[in-house]
Amino acid sequence: MINLIKYEFRKTWTTKLILLAITAFAEVVFLASLYLDKRDINALSIVALTILAIGGILFIGIQSILTMHQDMNTKQGYMLYMTPNSCYKILGGKVLENGLSMFVAGAFYFALGALDVTLLLGHYGELDKLMEMVKQFMSSMQMEVSLNGRMFALFALSFLCSWLCTVTTAYLADVVATCLLNGKKHNGWIGLLVFILLQTLFSWVERTAVGGRALDVQLIGSAAIAIVASAAMYAATAFLMDRHLSV
Amino acid sequence: MLKSEALTKVFGSKTAVDHVSLNLEAGHICAMLGPNGSGKTTWMKMAAGLCKPTSGQVFFDGEPIGVKSRASVAYMSTEPYFYTWMTIRDVAKYYADFFADFSMERFRDLLRRFELEENLKTKTLSSGMMAKAKIAVTMARDARIWMLDEPFNGIDLVARDQIKSAIIESAAPDKLLLMSSHLVEEMESIADRAVFLRKGQLIKEVDIETERAETGCSIADEYRRIYGAQGGEEA
Repeated sequence: MINLIKYEFRKTWTTKLILLAITAFAEVVFLASLYLDKRDINALSIVALTILAIGGILFIGIQSILTMHQDMNTKQGYMLYMTPNSCYKILGGKVLENGLSMFVAGAFYFALGALDVTLLLGHYGELDKLMEMVKQFMSSMQMEVSLNGRMFALFALSFLCSWLCTVTTAYLADVVATCLLNGKKHNGWIGLLVFILLQTLFSWVERTAVGGRALDVQLIGSAAIAIVASAAMYAATAFLMDRHLSV
Repeated sequence: MLKSEALTKVFGSKTAVDHVSLNLEAGHICAMLGPNGSGKTTWMKMAAGLCKPTSGQVFFDGEPIGVKSRASVAYMSTEPYFYTWMTIRDVAKYYADFFADFSMERFRDLLRRFELEENLKTKTLSSGMMAKAKIAVTMARDARIWMLDEPFNGIDLVARDQIKSAIIESAAPDKLLLMSSHLVEEMESIADRAVFLRKGQLIKEVDIETERAETGCSIADEYRRIYGAQGGEEA
């Protein structure tokens, strides 16, 4: 399993390195603008870092889906599927690598965000005002919540788990299109339809189970539902691959 | 050792392999012959566990092929299949990581004989270099069965001789070597058994020496006789 995870990481590490380099550049701009008190540039760098954090995690997931698709539809897939590993193990390697990459990236960006907010607070001493503005904004959106580090961490956890669920659902949709409907007309569209239906189902389950509860309960509940759904998607995908995958 | 029972693969309306039953024993170098579209590659891919049959089964040592058999069967595809981000050294490390029977020493020896550098990127290899690299990693495994799909494709005469000697060196009483090729004369010089396929069906399976003695014909002549009507130039 370690080898499978290692090589899944090797397939994507170049783009992850590029993402890290861009983040490092944005962080340097943030620190320099903070030090030089260039507020416009500072604000721009904060926006850039926020986009990088969310976009980066989304990108890691999308790249994992593309890699999975490539492994099933090109001759390079022979490298993976001729090894003495079951489809359950091979897919497990992919899900674990992707999950770990996203959670490590999430933890990294969360820690970086916490550090930058602390620096902002230290520099301007106006963070309380900023937080008050955010609270007022959320209040105007009828979202009465107390914003603190724990709540931000729950938001991040819920986002990561939901994204992992989306990625594993995409795996299943791709396997349905590639294995079950191989050579059939409109197999890609049918795969997309499967993806949309499953995502709609998960949203409905989430709304039904935790909708209307306190925000922290909603976040923990949606994260738990996403993890269970991801496990179900993994099992269904591996089952189909084991019986129908031809590369 | 490797047995297929009524093995069939259908792609849409085309039957690529049609109820092929074969029993290949250890201790042989077997040539799988037939023109394009005769089902050689599809049969090998099913035997390697890369492609699921529509019906029928393949057995290795009496057990259906699967995860366990992949540890003992070394398959080499005719198409390039290495990850493009890899160097030849990376490919060898990959094989060493996944196949317990892979020998880095044997791999380096083969590379030296093929005059290939380990640090070459696989995406920069010419077709001849790629063919040699594929042979080197595949034959560096101490597998029970080697299945080589068109191992002489796109390579010059000298390299072909090097590959032939690497293949012959690996032959042993407890191992099976199965190769497909259009170069029938080339195959005849190293194989002792031949399987003829046409349009996905098994035409015949022969012992090459016995066939020569009984008919007075070479395997190339037999190939021309079988496939002549649909294109003798394939030989």
